Amino acid sequence: MSEVTSETKTPADRGLWLLLALLLALCLSLFVIPAYIIRPFTHQSERGLSLAIAVKKIAPALSLASLAALLATAWVLWRRSSKWLRGALVTAVLLSGASALMVRQNYFEWMFNPIKSAGFVSPADAQLADKEMVMAVTIGPETRAYPIVQMAYHHILNDTVSGVPIVVTY
Amino acid sequence: MRDRETGSWWQQVTGRAISGELAGSTLELMPNDELTFALWRSEVQQAHEKGLVLAPVAGHSEKDGKKDYDKKWEEETAKYPVPLTFPKQGLKDRDVVLGIHLGGQARAFPLDKVRAASPIQDKIAGVPVVLVTGPDGDSVRVFRSQWNGSDIELYQDTQKAASASDGKDTAEKGTDGKGADEKNPEWHLLDAQGNTWNFAGCATSGPAAGQCLEKINFLKDYWFDWKNYNPQTTVYSR
Repeated sequence: MSEVTSETKTPADRGLWLLLALLLALCLSLFVIPAYIIRPFTHQSERGLSLAIAVKKIAPALSLASLAALLATAWVLWRRSSKWLRGALVTAVLLSGASALMVRQNYFEWMFNPIKSAGFVSPADAQLADKEMVMAVTIGPETRAYPIVQMAYHHILNDTVSGVPIVVTY
Repeated sequence: MRDRETGSWWQQVTGRAISGELAGSTLELMPNDELTFALWRSEVQQAHEKGLVLAPVAGHSEKDGKKDYDKKWEEETAKYPVPLTFPKQGLKDRDVVLGIHLGGQARAFPLDKVRAASPIQDKIAGVPVVLVTGPDGDSVRVFRSQWNGSDIELYQDTQKAASASDGKDTAEKGTDGKGADEKNPEWHLLDAQGNTWNFAGCATSGPAAGQCLEKINFLKDYWFDWKNYNPQTTVYSR
């Protein structure tokens, strides 16, 4: 019994640990690769961007599959592992789980605050200094002013001007 | 940008979908202006249009001093690193340019230059254009400087040129409650045909009275960004 629970592992165990490491790496890369390539304030090459988009596409399904495989592997290794190695197993499962969650999020949109319910006021009621710049759009009889102080913070607004649906973006 | 309907990704600068179900399609660019609030308001009054102003969004302003964040957005942005740099055409990365596409060509006009020398006449792919800084000294518009089938040259009324350069200072100070046109009611451009043109690009007197020049869309952008999307761009340098 002491031989089984000791840190000296059988070749089969080593294979399982290697599998676990690979599954963890796969699961993490599904999140990290697109997140790294698309991160703000960097240039994305066309190839880089298409790789990131391709990874994002397969990530939700593949991350679940690899998480399941990782859980199964961890289950097998659990009973034969020491306290320290069990800690490593728990860490691997948590990291993969977090990664599988993240690939389901539009995390780059967290930093933006879309305008959900836009309100409009007449020019006379607008509390806006004369020198403030506005983005102006005139369609038919209607014209709108979108103050840049608002647009620079929210970036995107969906609106309808004289029946025409437009998106305003800064 | 992402749309909720298909989840396609849209490039903000070009309006082109680069991934997803709608990849390859392009949104139509709506004519738009970047004006000072005072100028927009006075034009709306004159044209008797139905004008509305986007109201400050309740909730976000009070949080964490985000109102300050709004005001300082330009300054804050300038602190971030630029993703790309194109030093060879004499412009700094974050210099603001007015980018124009015409006849398959792209040209960048440094905003400082346009403000200093308005109106600027140029030709892009054979099309005569004029870049004009408005009576407030801040707002800029671009027109096709062609009327009745022939090119026209627009110039600032020399009598008013002095007050127009004053306008730059008053625009900086801003909040005295007067509209731009109220400050500078006589602002107009002239041409050799005897027309006077207002900032909307319409002739207010002369043989062209009542007619308007064709407005040309442009993109106000940082130099590095414009150059990235338009690698072949030329830079106005007169």
